[in-house]
Amino acid sequence: MNPTGCGIGLRSPHVAEILETRPRIPWLEIHAENYMGGGPAIRSLERLRADYPISVHGVGLSLGTAEGIDERHLERLAQLVERLKPAFVSEHLSWSVSDGVYLNHLLPLPYTEEALKTVTEHVARVQERLGRRLLVENPSNYLRFRETGIAEPQFLNELAARTGCGVLCDVNNVYVTCTNLGGAAEAWIDALEPSIVGEIHLAGHASNDADGVPILIDDHGSSVSAAVWNLYARALTRFGGVPSLVEWDTDIPALGVVMLEAEKAERVLEASGTHDVVAA
Amino acid sequence: MSSLRDVQRAFRTALLEQDDRPLATEVLPDGLSASARVSVYRHHVLTSLTEALLSTFPVVCRLVDGRFFGWLADCYIRKHAPVTPCLLEYGGDLPSFIERFPACAALPWLADVARLEWAMNVAFHAPDMAPIGPARLAVTPAEELGALVLEFDPSVTYVASGWPIDAIWRANQPGDEQTSVDLDSGSVRLEVRRRDDDVLFRALPAGSFSFRRALAGGEPLGRAVDAALTADASLDLASEIRALLDEELLAA
Repeated sequence: MNPTGCGIGLRSPHVAEILETRPRIPWLEIHAENYMGGGPAIRSLERLRADYPISVHGVGLSLGTAEGIDERHLERLAQLVERLKPAFVSEHLSWSVSDGVYLNHLLPLPYTEEALKTVTEHVARVQERLGRRLLVENPSNYLRFRETGIAEPQFLNELAARTGCGVLCDVNNVYVTCTNLGGAAEAWIDALEPSIVGEIHLAGHASNDADGVPILIDDHGSSVSAAVWNLYARALTRFGGVPSLVEWDTDIPALGVVMLEAEKAERVLEASGTHDVVAA
Repeated sequence: MSSLRDVQRAFRTALLEQDDRPLATEVLPDGLSASARVSVYRHHVLTSLTEALLSTFPVVCRLVDGRFFGWLADCYIRKHAPVTPCLLEYGGDLPSFIERFPACAALPWLADVARLEWAMNVAFHAPDMAPIGPARLAVTPAEELGALVLEFDPSVTYVASGWPIDAIWRANQPGDEQTSVDLDSGSVRLEVRRRDDDVLFRALPAGSFSFRRALAGGEPLGRAVDAALTADASLDLASEIRALLDEELLAA
């Protein structure tokens, strides 16, 4: 089953309700690392697989680490992918491992030729092991390195050209990064090569005060902002009716609230005239 | 020009050792200081890992209160950052960290409560297993039984404590505000495991506990029998072995 329309990120407080009521949700995305153990969690997911297309979204591969991909972790991801046979597998343009320590954050990369070479090698290795195309997501950034010489969308375009990977375009992250680091979010969207976009993410963000300066935090803890809805409409016009997904990770509300966000996205998809019609 | 590896080491130092200086020279200020920008990342790393520990050790948190737990977690994370992205496997060292943490010295039972919660976490995420029937034991010649190593249900952990950690755990479940625990009620020997989707624990007598703990630890049957009889010379071994099968503790 291939995802179409707007799905939601599956979060543990909602699993029992979805299993019981099987609501109309176009597709579900899981965080890979939450399902690398055994027991009830993975068993629930195997039951949901029968009714919903599933996407596996990794947060721990650390594609941008200078010290090489953790082959043990890649193997666990490969086993999960083999077990779930998901529609998509995605990861992030970031790093989280240094000297073997896992820092539990999607940390920013200096967008340099060295980083591009590193990420290219790692994406190629992951695609080789999984035997399939990976989608790579743009992160939310709160700082920029002096050495960054390549703009983020160009970095992704080049990565896709070198590896054949796709891009998971998180429009909330585009907005957060551009606001925090100075730059036009619309120009970011316009610079990304449309044919490589395989999925779009939507989420809410917060605005914090950092030494008197507002800084946007990608906390996935509220509904999608008006500015991000506008950016989403622009992205659809440019990329076409790409399968989309709403994420909500902190202050998780009732399932119905998340589903309403996804339904709102479906209306934007339909209004854009690019929504793929589900085959009968 | 710093290599990618150097930049990432500087970032790690800034996050865990709170020294921003090596990283600050790499970062464009962009209207906000490098250290204010790095602190956004540090805040997320520490709070998200603290939340991961809290979800594994809710009773420990309740026993010391949230603010103390936050400080304890912060100290632990800086010394024992995760080495795997699977956070359901993070926190195995917390019980021994608590044992050595001077501020917890007045709560000598706290480390064992943490051991119980860790065992419950392991049980919840352990792989499913198919139990064996009596056939495997029956086909093993009698003279080889002593050397037989049995594979145990991977969800099982045996936890012994000089404190009534089972009663402490039960008295600190959500909604239970009134139960008092007699800390002098003595030691316990607990078997923690998952059955279907539920993680359970129960107290075992000394002989059964020693027998099962030895087997679960990979000791051959003969050595486990010795351990069991040392703990309880009158133990009925035939019924102990039958119980292993009846309770589906042995994996195929």
